[in-house]
This record gives sequence, C-alpha cells and structure tokens, in this order.
Amino acid sequence: MNAGHSTMNRSRVVAAYLGDIRFELVKMIRTPAFAVPTLLFPLMFYVLFGVFMGSARGNGAFALYALAGYGVFGTMAPGLFGFGVSLAFERELGTLTYRQALPMPAGSYLLARMANAMVFVCISTLILLIVAATAGHVPITFGQAVHLLLVNVLGVLPFCAIGLFIGSLVSGQAAPAVVNLIYLPMAFLSGVWFPIEGMSKVLHQLAPLWPAHHLVQLGLGAVGGPTVGSTANHMAALAGVTVLFYFLAMRRLSNRGFQLLGPARGGGTAAPLRRALTVGLMSIAIGLIIAGVMGGNAPRAVANTAATSNDATEGNSATAATDAAAPSGAPVGVAAPEVPLVADFDQGSERSRYGLGWQAGGDDMRGGSSKASQHLVDVGARQSRAALEVTGEVGTAIQYPFAGTSFLPNGTENTEFGNQGYMDYSAKSTLSFQARGDGQTYTVMLMGPRLDVIPSMYGFVATADWQEVRVPLKDLSGLDLQRVRLISIGTSTPGPFRFQIDDVRVE
Amino acid sequence: MSQPSLARLHDAHKHFGKIAALDGFSFEVNRGELVALLGPNGAGKSTAISLLLGLQRPDRGSAVLFGDEPQSIDARRRIGVMMQETNLPAVMRPRELIAQVASYYPHPYEVSAVIARLALESLADRPYGKLSGGQKRQVQFAMAIVGRPELLFLDEPTVGLDIHAREALWRVVRELIHEGCSILLTTHYIEEAEALANRVAVLTHGRQVAAGTVDEIRAHVSNKSILCRTKLAADEIRSWPEVLQLSEESGRQCMVTKEAEAVLRRLLGADATVRDIEVRRAGLAQAFTEITSSNSTSSGSLQ
Repeated sequence: MNAGHSTMNRSRVVAAYLGDIRFELVKMIRTPAFAVPTLLFPLMFYVLFGVFMGSARGNGAFALYALAGYGVFGTMAPGLFGFGVSLAFERELGTLTYRQALPMPAGSYLLARMANAMVFVCISTLILLIVAATAGHVPITFGQAVHLLLVNVLGVLPFCAIGLFIGSLVSGQAAPAVVNLIYLPMAFLSGVWFPIEGMSKVLHQLAPLWPAHHLVQLGLGAVGGPTVGSTANHMAALAGVTVLFYFLAMRRLSNRGFQLLGPARGGGTAAPLRRALTVGLMSIAIGLIIAGVMGGNAPRAVANTAATSNDATEGNSATAATDAAAPSGAPVGVAAPEVPLVADFDQGSERSRYGLGWQAGGDDMRGGSSKASQHLVDVGARQSRAALEVTGEVGTAIQYPFAGTSFLPNGTENTEFGNQGYMDYSAKSTLSFQARGDGQTYTVMLMGPRLDVIPSMYGFVATADWQEVRVPLKDLSGLDLQRVRLISIGTSTPGPFRFQIDDVRVE
Repeated sequence: MSQPSLARLHDAHKHFGKIAALDGFSFEVNRGELVALLGPNGAGKSTAISLLLGLQRPDRGSAVLFGDEPQSIDARRRIGVMMQETNLPAVMRPRELIAQVASYYPHPYEVSAVIARLALESLADRPYGKLSGGQKRQVQFAMAIVGRPELLFLDEPTVGLDIHAREALWRVVRELIHEGCSILLTTHYIEEAEALANRVAVLTHGRQVAAGTVDEIRAHVSNKSILCRTKLAADEIRSWPEVLQLSEESGRQCMVTKEAEAVLRRLLGADATVRDIEVRRAGLAQAFTEITSSNSTSSGSLQ
C-alpha cells in the first residue's frame, strides 16, 4: 500500500488539533444560547449580589464570597452546556456519526470542546475578578487572582465530564432541560449563590455531595476566604467525579457506536488489560469521591493565609474545634434583659449596661495592621450629654481587615474571645443606634458560636448628621439569634475613618 | 483486475436485534470505477456503507478499506464522505466547514479551489444554517472531495438539488473519475446510476440479487418497450396476451412486453397506418423494479 499518501506530517496534525479548537471557539461565540449564560449571567449576578448587595452595603465579606461563588457559577456552564447539550444534539442529528467517518486526529473532538470550555471559564473568571477588584472593592492580590483563575480553569473538567455523561444519555431536545435541572439546583445546594451554612443544617451537611461545593471551597481558599474541608479533600472529590463520569460517558457512547477517542483497534489481547485498567481507575475514582465527600465539610477556622488551608484539623484553635464538634449543640445564651438600652454613654462611661463593651479594636489579633481607638465626646444624638467616637485606620495586611468598636453581650473580663458566652436575643427583633461620621460605609457585624463562618453583616453609611440605623436581626442571613457572641460596629474599607455612635438598643 | 480492491466487504453479516440488515453480502470497489449500490429502503445499503466507513463492525465476515481496518485513520485519510443526513453547525460558514475537513487530510485541495470548482463563491461566507437544502448538499459535497480522496462515498448526493446543480455535480463526479478517483454511490435516482456508474450492485434484504455493468443488469431483464402512434383503442391493445403493460408517453402508446416480435406482427396486422415505431430495451429503472420485486415478498418500490 502507498503508505506515504496517508501519513501526515506532525505540523499538519498539530494544526488540525488547533484548527478544531479555533472552530469550536468561533462556533460557541456565535451561539448566544451558550455564550450568554456562560459569560453574562455570572457577571450579572455578581454585580447584582456581590457588588450592590455586598460591597455597596458594607458587606465586603460577601463580595469576596460571591467572587468565588459566581466564579464557579460561570465555570459550571461551559462544561455542562458545552458537552451536555451540544453532544446530545450532535449525537442525535448525525453530526457525530459524520465526524467519526472523518480522519479527525484522535481525541480532537473532546480536546477542542475541553479547551473551549477552559477559554470561556478563563474569560468569565477574569471579568469577575476585574469587577470585584474595581466596583466591588474586594482586596485581592495578583497571586490570589491567578490562583482563582487556575482553580476555575481546571475546575471546569468535572463539569465537562458530567456534561459528557448527560450528552451521552439524553436526547438533544431533553438535554437543555436536564442540564438546567442539574446546573441550577446544584449551584444553590453548593452555596454558589449564597453561603448555605446559615440556611439549613441538612442542606449544609449534604453540600459535599455536590461537586460544585468542592469547587466553591477551592475558590474561596484561592482568594483567602473562610473555607470548610481540606484542599486535598476537595481535589479528591473533583478528580473522582471527573474520572467516574468520563468513563461512564465513554462506555455509554461506545455502546452506541461512538468512539470519541478514535477507534479501539485490535481488541484481542489488549482488551482484558484495558478492562482491568478501567475497573481500577473507576474504583480509584469512587474511592476519591467518597473520601472527598466524607471530609468535604469538616469545619476549620478562618484561614488567614493560604498556608494554613491545607489541613482541616491541624492548626485550629481549641475553641474552633470545640465549636465544630457541636456547632448548634452549644448552649443557648443567657436571655437578654428586658430593657432595650445597651449603651447611651451619658453616664460618662464607655461601658455598656450589660456584657462587656464597648472596646475599640483592630485586627492585630489576626495579624492585621488595622487600628482603632475610642473616646467620649460632648453632646450626643438628640442633644444627649455624650456619644462614643471611634477613629482609626484600616490596613491591608490581611484579608478581611476590620477596625471599630465591639460589644460582647454576655462577655466577661479576662476571658479568651473563643470562650466568651452568648446572649439569647431571640425575643428581640431590632438592633438600633444613632450614628454619624465621615460619610463612609460602615458595617454592623454579629457573630455566633462558630468562628469559621462569615459573620452576619449589615451595612450603613455614617453621614455628617445623626441618623438612626435599624438592623433587622431576624432578617440577617446566618445569624443564630439565640447565641449572639459579639456585636461590632466598624469598617473594612482600607484607610482612615471616624464615626460616632449613641443610644444603642436591642428591642 | 489484478490490483487489490480499495474497499471490500466479504460475506458481511450484520444483525440489529432479530433483523438481518446484511445477510452475507460481498462487494468491492476497484480503482477508477464508479459503483452504484441500488436497492429499496431497508435493503441494507446504509449498513453496507457504515461497515466500510468503520462506523460499525460486521457480526461475521469482513470489511476492508485500503487493505486495512476501516477504523484506521490512515485508511480514512484516503476517503471522502458525503452522508445522507448530515447536520452541520448552522452558525459556521461553508468556507470554515470545508477548511476544517481539509485540515484532517495530508494533501488536500486548496479550499478556495474547491469552492471555485463547484461554483460556491456566492454562498461560501454565508452561515450554513441560512442555505437551502440543495446548497447544503453542495457544501457537503465540497467537504467530501476537499481531502483529495482516492475513494469517495456518496450517499444520495443529489437529493434536493435542482437540475442545474445536479448536472454540475455529475460533471465534477465524471472529472474525478477521470482523475483516477473511485466512487461508491448510493442513490434513489436510477438515471443517476445509469448516467454515472460503470457497475451496479442491487441489494435486497441484505443480499446481493444482481450485479454487473448497467448493460448487464438491463440484459437480466427480457422486457422491451414498443412505442408507436396508432389508431387502435387502448382496450384492444391491452387485450393482447403478450402485452404486459400499456401507457401513454407524449402522444405515443407504450407497450411493455417480453415478446416484442409477436406484438409487432399483431400491431402491423391490425393497424396499417401505425407509425413512429420504436423498440427499446428496458431501462435500468424497469430492470431494477423487476429484479427487486421478484426477490422480494414485500413491494420493491424505489420509495
């Protein structure tokens, strides 16, 4: 036979692979049903929730969380839709059969779609990073941005595999519905839109079952947010999901006569070996998933640096571990006093009527550089005798910088923060106080027993004139009203600040 | 022919459940010839093609392409394929689609040369989804030939084409044959096989029932048609035992018979004014109908 005629030089083969990638990319860019949900939806949701409801209301922590969350939202789509929907249609309409008859280089079909999904993820994550760093005022370093980009670009692979499986299973007509039925609920249950810790204990415990949960956690780890479970756990679960669904899809497709990696030649002697290899890989994949799911929710303390984010149990403070053992089994706090007033500062003291406070403070305990001090000033709100003024400067040494003044409703002197008691505010509905200041945005932060979750937050602007701030306690997400450990008023915005508070009440 | 065949099925069996799509079919395509595979729907034509394209494997027997497994990429680099139902991405342009396929071959034609050869310049940069059915088929044909194939598979290539486009495609097919390309054609249009094929194989129920040149196939059939202008009433002609069928063809009576001489004697005896007499051997269409229906318990229609 004339072998020379059918052999292709290496550069033409490489060009064919690259050509297929470019072809897929052009095709997807020209397909709004794919490009819009992939690129526009994550951006839209991030601006809506991360920027307007997060940063703009002083909830910088949520702006950061949303960066990881919507990054995952934008990562799921190209994998699930790019493989699930397109493959189902191409299988059904005969396109796949035709492509198989072509001398396409081995695996190019999969490679082009995978590369395509990665490019889309790269673009959508970059857009989010730019919006987060500018409009969202999320303090993020270049290294963290690159880390998040890497997490998402690789994180698309398990969703490609799931998409591939869906595409091998259902008809083209059914595929969009099936993909959405998986995409949207999984996004919700994995805490892609909002942290689910505060929503439901059951959903929280089930979260490690969903692959997106693991990717959200890896994304949070990348940008220095608070995470649960270890990096190794999450990577194991995602790798397992990728391998498992990839093999299931390949088996399904090959039963239907499609060999996406090119023909399995020879059969014969190679078959038992291949089968053994497949069974081995599948077992490893399932093992990885189980390991990942089991450890995927282990709580850990807020990670200040990426270096501590490698193990779930090591390095946690004793208090965090104690809380983790029984997060809501912790005793209910002492009942709040009938009297609503917490502090009016009119007695010439900065002390609160009960508990421990107020105390100015920065984030030096967590290794930060933010500082605050406080003192009484003459004439408070509504011409009262005095008010509390807090001044200071927020530094950028750590993620989540914070400075302001704090009040421990059931706190006692000389007790470690982690051992301070809780107050049961479940009979109350509103925290209110008078505030004025330099026109910046400030945050009211409430913390419960757990130190490893994002505090509940409420943003307000301290204008030049006295204004009443009313915090609807029952509506705050993630707040356990029976166990309030800490109430802080301050800011996370880097730079100097000055504000006054007066007449603090819980009623 | 001493040269080995380019594509060959040997005693191929393929079952789908209890249905035998191919039941011991042997068939080959040699260099430089155009072979037409004919047969009613469900006869096994598509299965035969799909075994040779390596999309399926025979349960028994063998399928060989360029002396290799049909799944081999080396073998596939020597063929071009135009399938019956091919959906291509609507948002892509014909030039891009043709270029992508060209990139898979070692020595393809220039994309622009193929576009020019098939006179597709006016639609080469329009979205594929906006093209008419016939235009899409022309683009698919361009994709099939751009790789400079030694063997071209054409499955119903002219369905949906207007006469002009069909003639143009036939012209290119003849040129390709002249350039040394071999072609395996499946078609519903008998005149297409008649116009192009060196050799015809007729398939029913997964088996070959006739094979040979177009002339040989015709000779299988003893029917002849006699055309003439006559004043005889149609009913009278129908009453002659030798006449199997009677129809009118542009003002002339057309009698189908196995005994042309006997019918002619009767005709000349009964109508002294008969004129414009013409005796034709059966066309391939008639031959095909006869062959497939005599081998078929169900109707062997072309539809």
